[in-house]
Amino acid sequence: MGAYIVRRLWQMIPTLAGVVLLIFFLFNWVGGDPALVLAGKITNAEQIENIRKQLGVDQPYWYQLWVFVKQIVTFDFGRSWATNEAVSNILITRVGPTLTIMIPVLLLETIIGVILAIGVAYVRGTLTDRMIMMICTVAMSISFLVYIIVAQYIFGFQLGWFPVQGWSDSFAKNIVTYAPLPIMLAVFVGLAPALRLYRSFFLDEVNQDYVRTARAKGLGEKTVMMKHVLRNAMIPILTNVGISLPGIFVGSFLLETFFSIPGLGREILTAVNRSDFPVIKAATVYLAIVTMLVNLAVDVLYKAVDPRVVLK
Amino acid sequence: MRLLVTRKWHCQFIGSLIAALAASLIQLSTPLYAVEKKTLKIAFRAAETGFDPQKIEDRYSIGICENIFDSLLSYDWLARPVKVVPQIVEAVPVGEEGGTRFTFKIKPGIFFSNDPIFKGKPRELVARDMEYAIKRFRDPANRSPYSWLFEDRIVGLDEFVAAAKKSGKYDYDAPIEGLKVLDKYTISFKLREPDYNFIYFFTLPHVVPVAREAIEGYANDTMAHPVGTGPYILKQWVRRSKIVLEKNPNYRGHTLDTRYANPADAWDNEAIKALGGKTLPLIDRIEIAPIEEEQPRFLAFMNREHDYIEETPAVFIEQVLPNGKLSSAMQKRNMRVFREEQPEIVWDAFNLDDPVVGGYKPENVGFRRALVLAHDRGQEIAIVRRGQAIPMQTLVAPGLIGSDPTFRALEQEYNPARAKAMLDMLGYVDRDSDGWRELPGGKPLKLTYKYRANDDSSRQQAELWAKCLAAVGIRMEAVAVQFADLLKDRKVGKFQMSGLAWIADYPDAQNFLQLLYGPNTNISNDARFKWPAYDLLYTQALKLPDSPERDKLYREMNRIAVVFAPWRFGVHRIFNHFISPWVLGYKKHPILFTSFKYLDIDAASQKAVMQQ
Repeated sequence: MGAYIVRRLWQMIPTLAGVVLLIFFLFNWVGGDPALVLAGKITNAEQIENIRKQLGVDQPYWYQLWVFVKQIVTFDFGRSWATNEAVSNILITRVGPTLTIMIPVLLLETIIGVILAIGVAYVRGTLTDRMIMMICTVAMSISFLVYIIVAQYIFGFQLGWFPVQGWSDSFAKNIVTYAPLPIMLAVFVGLAPALRLYRSFFLDEVNQDYVRTARAKGLGEKTVMMKHVLRNAMIPILTNVGISLPGIFVGSFLLETFFSIPGLGREILTAVNRSDFPVIKAATVYLAIVTMLVNLAVDVLYKAVDPRVVLK
Repeated sequence: MRLLVTRKWHCQFIGSLIAALAASLIQLSTPLYAVEKKTLKIAFRAAETGFDPQKIEDRYSIGICENIFDSLLSYDWLARPVKVVPQIVEAVPVGEEGGTRFTFKIKPGIFFSNDPIFKGKPRELVARDMEYAIKRFRDPANRSPYSWLFEDRIVGLDEFVAAAKKSGKYDYDAPIEGLKVLDKYTISFKLREPDYNFIYFFTLPHVVPVAREAIEGYANDTMAHPVGTGPYILKQWVRRSKIVLEKNPNYRGHTLDTRYANPADAWDNEAIKALGGKTLPLIDRIEIAPIEEEQPRFLAFMNREHDYIEETPAVFIEQVLPNGKLSSAMQKRNMRVFREEQPEIVWDAFNLDDPVVGGYKPENVGFRRALVLAHDRGQEIAIVRRGQAIPMQTLVAPGLIGSDPTFRALEQEYNPARAKAMLDMLGYVDRDSDGWRELPGGKPLKLTYKYRANDDSSRQQAELWAKCLAAVGIRMEAVAVQFADLLKDRKVGKFQMSGLAWIADYPDAQNFLQLLYGPNTNISNDARFKWPAYDLLYTQALKLPDSPERDKLYREMNRIAVVFAPWRFGVHRIFNHFISPWVLGYKKHPILFTSFKYLDIDAASQKAVMQQ
């Protein structure tokens, strides 16, 4: 196991190198000149050149790439070009609000999704099953943005159950007051695809020989579903949750933008609009590392859940 | 009955006496009434960047600095047209030496807010602080977006900067011939050329004196540590999420000058009633949330999470202001609406260096004028702007010094029939009967309009152009471009047509007329218009103060712009600001960015409504 982990950690280096090259290439090719964005409405070539010099984008590409690599190794991406805020401070202060929203979303979506999926799998083939699947398909066809706009209008404004937007310094106040509406919205929207997916996992298991054996032994359907099918279906469910995990560290930029949540998703969107390369670099590298580490953790967890799995 | 006085009774009596005395003392030390802290909550349309005045450019950061720092000059709050008045100087300087010298005398006894950087000692504002600020604008390390204000202007400053770039050392202590501190409170500027608009620079909320020790002490992050002499201090800042200002306890106070109020103006009368005779500011705390998206910003106001909303998104106007009148729901809530024509212009520029739409020969000019005639500005106002705009008649926003309300650009009026006739006459005809006109030589004609990607109104404007030109037989392609790339394309002249906007930095027409000044090509003259007669008029006007003589030059410049059509004159947008009934004294200034210094709140009424 130890050797496996070490090997996987080593393999992260070429993957990260690929990410670095890709983001560097993309920014310099399609990212736009940040000097023009920062220069203001009245500027001249000399000023723009000065800004480019201050930002270091007048250096040869190989030097800029070398600086990028150094920044990754030292975890110091310098300061935002737009606001002069330390990039590390941006990441540290923004990840909290993002996780405040996304962790509950992931937990609730998984738990509710599994419960509903078992129920739907239990009544598989019936009219109820078909109706639910149809509703899920329709729900998935509607843009997330539409849900946000409608929910904000109805629950925030018309009914006044929640504030329309906002965030506070207090974790308790955020959880009780500001987070519920975006969390509920994200869970509601995420349930449809999750339900469809988890239902398929359960149905895969339901048709297995061991289930037939269990029924033949006289076990009730509920016991078969809850004790045998559920456990085996949890393996692909956990895999799916594992794949989703890196996403919670970035958050939903739509939710954060519309609900004024100072999270990382909104920050990254702002950085892209401003061609703020230090923030873009840091966020991309951070996400790549988190993704690789989470994938490793999921693979190791897989072994714990299913002893038959061999880690090579 | 005899009272049995026991030891126990003594202790109880003394204890009660002490308790009563303590209770009295406590009651005396607390006010007889609960003091309501007046808190204003609003939203900004876009996120701020920071609060180092010499490093910022966006309106919202500048608006915050307007409340933390004091500019030397400002504007009378009520006077319309706007009137420059002294803020922290003795008087508005008059241009001496033919308009090349301006001397400011700062009032003694103005102090910076108490900041730990001053180590507990009161720090008075002096002339050196203004000198330092001007040098900061030109320091290459600051990348100041407003360094252009002091480029090619002050004697010796450009040479100082050039020498600093060469040596690699920007010496803030080095003397500059045109930037002299005459005594503790007096600073004098010597300009290369006469410029009577120079004093306007000192009304800008970011052209403000700063304490050198604060800048150097907070060198790591001056954006987060603004230290000024203004009425507010930065109490809390969660970047791009929350800005909190609180009253500066060190502030000297100011009052509402009512000399220039208009007795017939209801807003003036309300401001005088609410603020007259009082020491300002009255608002204790201001909480600002940057909310870029229109729906949450609007709904937050309607949900009473904010006290007023400025620049209400046009998409919601019909709901709250149908046909220009407050809706019944808004009337029931006793809302007020302030309609403002901001000192800005929105227009479409042609690239005069482009071989198809550019050029100065009669046939080139004729083609552009035909395109202008083909564009239906009425539809732009009705559909793109949702009725919240008026057509541009001159290069200059209305209400500014030097603007001409009588000038009419009749050659810019929509007339597709005349456009078609002009195109036929100039040889732009459909030779191959495919429904599209070709160039006079027979080559295919397809125009390109570049607009900002992810911007809805820009996209609608581009689509309107395509539709209008198609109606006269001209093919046009609208191309969405990322903002940074669009800026670059415009700067280097890599476009044919594009939409632009400009808001006044200061209230003189010159701030707009410079947009077509030839030497400003690659700077602010995106149309790359280079016409010697226009440039000559512009440089002549720079040397004159506000006068009928200068107005005549400005009029001629407008006429040249209409004749050569480097622009399709667009619109001046109208913005609607909705104000809750407990906000008192509101009046939006056309040049200043915020109203916090001249507002009051009926805190009890605000609280009562919030608790409903």
